[in-house]
Amino acid sequence: MKIFLVLFVLSFSLYGVNPPISKYINTTQQKVAIEDDFTSDLEDEFDDESGVEVVDPFSGYNRSMTYFNDVVYVNILIPVATEYANIVHDDIREGISNVFSNLVFPVRFVNNVLQLKFDNAIEETGRFLVNSTIGILGIFDPAKDELNWEAHEEDFGQTLGFYGVGPGPHVVLPFLGPSNVRDAFSIIPDSMLNPTSEYFYDLPSEMSNGIILNGVYYINKSSLHLGEYESIKKDAIDLYPFMRDLYEQNRKSQIKE
Amino acid sequence: MKLSKLIIKKYSIISLAFSLSFGVSSAYAIQEENIASQMQVNINKTTLLLQNEQLKQEDKKIQIFELFDPVFDYSSMSKIALGKKWRKLSNDQKEHFENAFTHKLKQSYIDKLKLYTDEKVIINQTEKVKSTRIKLHTELIGKDQTYKIIYKFHRSKKNAEWLIYDVEMIGVSIMKTYRKQFSDYLSSNSMDDLIKKLDKNNATN
Repeated sequence: MKIFLVLFVLSFSLYGVNPPISKYINTTQQKVAIEDDFTSDLEDEFDDESGVEVVDPFSGYNRSMTYFNDVVYVNILIPVATEYANIVHDDIREGISNVFSNLVFPVRFVNNVLQLKFDNAIEETGRFLVNSTIGILGIFDPAKDELNWEAHEEDFGQTLGFYGVGPGPHVVLPFLGPSNVRDAFSIIPDSMLNPTSEYFYDLPSEMSNGIILNGVYYINKSSLHLGEYESIKKDAIDLYPFMRDLYEQNRKSQIKE
Repeated sequence: MKLSKLIIKKYSIISLAFSLSFGVSSAYAIQEENIASQMQVNINKTTLLLQNEQLKQEDKKIQIFELFDPVFDYSSMSKIALGKKWRKLSNDQKEHFENAFTHKLKQSYIDKLKLYTDEKVIINQTEKVKSTRIKLHTELIGKDQTYKIIYKFHRSKKNAEWLIYDVEMIGVSIMKTYRKQFSDYLSSNSMDDLIKKLDKNNATN
């Protein structure tokens, strides 16, 4: 009903604006004009993005590293994670993921505080207390399931972004994938707060533990995201700039939140 | 949270009754007040289709796009993806590009849907950005994290129905990434190369 009304009014107003004869003569021209107006209206939302060249001094290295990582993911990480997923039940893998996530609580807590998100920091603390005890060392997530307390992912890169530090040039890290100078640097302070990382213990002899733990972490994580990398890859015309764009857009929106 | 879900449930029943009483045509055109409920209905139906083991993959795809084709504005998306270059195309190129790109968008969307067959989708609130733009906020509850997905609607000038012109997943706008990719590619290749590349890509996927 509404559509007819709008159409009726629209056709009426068009009729009023254009003299009837020219309307018949210039139909194609008019169509083009309407079309242009229509897209330019939507266009303004996207306009600022195009034309701006990304500063990418490491593009040569980044491109090679993207393909190196691709080979590692496709030939090692994904097959191992797939095999692991076949053997280990979903619920156990989710439990493992929960344990890791619970252990990384100090990173989220500190970065929430640094960004003055005190409510989130309190909720994170509550989550840690509830999940470490009732959730049995973080295997379960009763804080979310029963109390609706959500995790608030924040890292030091986001903290720097919060205070206006720009991303700097894009850098693709071996194994870890897309990053930028700001976020790559931020791995160090975050690792110092992260019990699953080798930096946490500050002892070279413990380093192998960190590597093993990280290995388990990444294989477990990938097992919960099977098929995603392949699916994303299909959307790419050129893999490296595509991955770079996804990463930078995602980080920008995380920092804005 | 729970209240909103209840409201959506209520709405979807109302809208279902509404669309039934209005017949087929209005069931397809989305009106402002039932963006959330109509999308909920579409997503629920899609989940059921994907989980249906009796159906063939090809049939699933056809039925899913019967639901989504009237809601996605493929022609505007094609224009946005190319930006200013769109106007320089010949009519033939426009048509060819739009076909190839639409095919790619659909394939990509269905690929993503297939990954998340067992996950839960929550439709949250609509946000009116301006009189002709609405964002529908949704969440996909994954195994170890929640993904925010925003469907961006605009009101079409042709018949004032609301259509999707962009989807934003975890802060990444699909249209922005295509726009960026195409503009990069076209800086060193021709439009016909791009169309060829899309066709080839579509054939292998």
